[in-house]
Amino acid sequence: MNKRLSLAATSLLSISLLLSACGGNNAGNANNGTASNESANNSGSSNAGTNAADNADAGNASAGSDEKVSLNFWTLFDGGDGANMQTLVDEFNKSHPNIQVKNTKLVWGEYYTKLITAVGNGNGPDVGISHTSRLPDLIDQGVVTEVDDVAEVAGVDWSSYNQNLLNATIVDGKHYAAPIDTHPFIMFYNKKLLKDAGLLGEDGKPVMEQSADGFMKFLDTLKAKLPAKVTPFALSNSNDDPYRLWWALYSQQGGNDIVSDDLKSAAVDKEKGAKAAGYIQKLYTGGYIKKNDPDFYKNFQSGTAAIMMTGVWATGTWEATKGLEFGAMPIPKIFDQEATWGDSHTIILPVTKSEDPAKRKAAMIFADWVASNGQIWAKAGHIPSKPSVLENADYKAMPYRSDYASVASTVKFSKPSTKNWQIRDNASFKILNEVWANKLDPAAAMDKLQDGVQKVLNE
Amino acid sequence: MRMNKLRADVQALLYLLPFLVIYILFTIWPMIKGVNMTFYKWTLIRKMKYVGWDNYSRMIHDNEMWSAIWHSVIFVVLTTPTMVILAIALAMIANRKSRLQRLYRSVFFLPSVLSVAVASFLGLFVFQPYTGLVNSVLHLVRLLPENSEIFWLNETNLSWIAIALITLWWTVGFNFILYLSAMQDIPDEIYEAARLDGANDRQIFFRITFPYLNPITKTITMLQIIASFKVFMQIYIITGGGPLDKTRPIIQLIYQTGFKKNDLGYAATMSYMLFAILLVLSIFQYWLNNRKGANA
Repeated sequence: MNKRLSLAATSLLSISLLLSACGGNNAGNANNGTASNESANNSGSSNAGTNAADNADAGNASAGSDEKVSLNFWTLFDGGDGANMQTLVDEFNKSHPNIQVKNTKLVWGEYYTKLITAVGNGNGPDVGISHTSRLPDLIDQGVVTEVDDVAEVAGVDWSSYNQNLLNATIVDGKHYAAPIDTHPFIMFYNKKLLKDAGLLGEDGKPVMEQSADGFMKFLDTLKAKLPAKVTPFALSNSNDDPYRLWWALYSQQGGNDIVSDDLKSAAVDKEKGAKAAGYIQKLYTGGYIKKNDPDFYKNFQSGTAAIMMTGVWATGTWEATKGLEFGAMPIPKIFDQEATWGDSHTIILPVTKSEDPAKRKAAMIFADWVASNGQIWAKAGHIPSKPSVLENADYKAMPYRSDYASVASTVKFSKPSTKNWQIRDNASFKILNEVWANKLDPAAAMDKLQDGVQKVLNE
Repeated sequence: MRMNKLRADVQALLYLLPFLVIYILFTIWPMIKGVNMTFYKWTLIRKMKYVGWDNYSRMIHDNEMWSAIWHSVIFVVLTTPTMVILAIALAMIANRKSRLQRLYRSVFFLPSVLSVAVASFLGLFVFQPYTGLVNSVLHLVRLLPENSEIFWLNETNLSWIAIALITLWWTVGFNFILYLSAMQDIPDEIYEAARLDGANDRQIFFRITFPYLNPITKTITMLQIIASFKVFMQIYIITGGGPLDKTRPIIQLIYQTGFKKNDLGYAATMSYMLFAILLVLSIFQYWLNNRKGANA
């Protein structure tokens, strides 16, 4: 008896040691992080040094027409996105000896706060990233500059961009950013499970009638034919993903955002909104979506969910998952017209102290170059912002991407309200979450949403 | 003589100076500056607009703020009495002469060495549906039918229970140590005398142990109330203030207002509301401890 207890005590103690060791490691990692950053900086500058040397050599030949410009670039990407952006920056630096871009990776959660405060202090970067939905707020706060003049100097051809993506970055008739992608909300399906349920066509695509009843019937069949342990539809029970689905279905009926055109008042189309919310509520109450699923990504990833809806960024993750046979497609046309939720990463030129024209020109050349080389960026799953990239051989060689590239033209962006993110976080998420939890009736939710959006706009 | 005292004072001040400078710069000055901020609409990049008492009148009518304060109160009410009872109970167990005394002491104190993030994530794994420890055990002993789940973190009342349990487990160690040392200060002779007089265990606890622990109980209660009022991290990690903001404490609201809504002026105003509440509580504590015969 005593032996067992002392054994328990020892194991407890060793666990506590392990835990504290973890803590120690973390601190160590943090240190390592800064250390590697520093070394990265050092190697960066030594790189610049060798490049400068190369340059000097080349300069003799080309008579040194241009001065060398170095740009500070702030990004919010990590994981696959972070690596792909670094590849782009490296390629760009190689092919543009006169422009050297230094990529500073910031943590996504703190990116905007840091960008806004740094620009406010005059310590901002020369180039940065912004989501399209965040642009209006950054413009309003005086963080971003308009780029029409510099785009002309840099020779940017705006018509080479997907106009749906580009238009979302134009505020008051002025260009403020170069979109490099769109990352819309799409549908993924598990080929093996669909096949088991007899719902996979010869072409490897789901057999489904694209309508409200058709999609419901599709889920019904999945539920009936697959073992009880399998989730027909993996979806979060709150916040982002169900909100995106709601936005898609609302827009499919022709719903035009939930703020008015002058951006001053709430304009929820209650009938359409309630119809969309009611449809999604049925997916939860009907048992197609696993209730309060703590990890819906893992659910699909481990092959225990038949379909899943989320952003295109998941494509890269599923691809890297061994044994997962999946397909990707646009959100089904459940109502009148094709539409989905989406946002874009764009490259912006933040306000700087000097507003150096040479730097601005270089920055714009960089931004346009990144958009033109979207095949590298598309590795993570994003849809490139330039239609020409879709024809690129490297892009075409990648599976899945082409199956949903058409979505770029049907993404319904939000209007350029400075309060987009606040409306989403403080009104839409909260109120719709209640609908998904079956605690609020869809029609009542739309009344609440109208009031909630108005409150955010008034603040 | 007097000169000497003055010199000593100056000397002391000199030694204190490094600390004082930092303290004033990073604690006192921000507190003063904060009052100033409450009269402005103030964003992260100091786009400021003087708004007078607007932030204050907005606060009085702000249902979100009042419900957030109410949630903090709920947390205080849930955790303070339970903390005191649990800490005493654990101290009693660990104070008994037994071969496992050392084991008890280390086991009861161990959770306290965890950081808030580790404790909260453990809690998250314990209470999550489908794969969480609690539900799995309930399934195992067949208290919960196979096809149903208890959604601990999605129902308001259950979330409070989960949050309170995790907090108790994580923080009881410190109070347990305080009680244990207080118990060891109680002279053995008193117990011996009581035993000789034929007192039973209950009488001994309520007539001797508990009264002797009175001063430390008061201290622990007050410290616990103030600490609980400042709750933030574990709730933020475990429920994120949900479901539907029904467990969101005041600090989380202040944080969101300041750094998510970019409204530092109003966030500062709410911080002073919290400050006022804590000040009143502290004054109450001071009064309680300095009453005549408080420590008799």
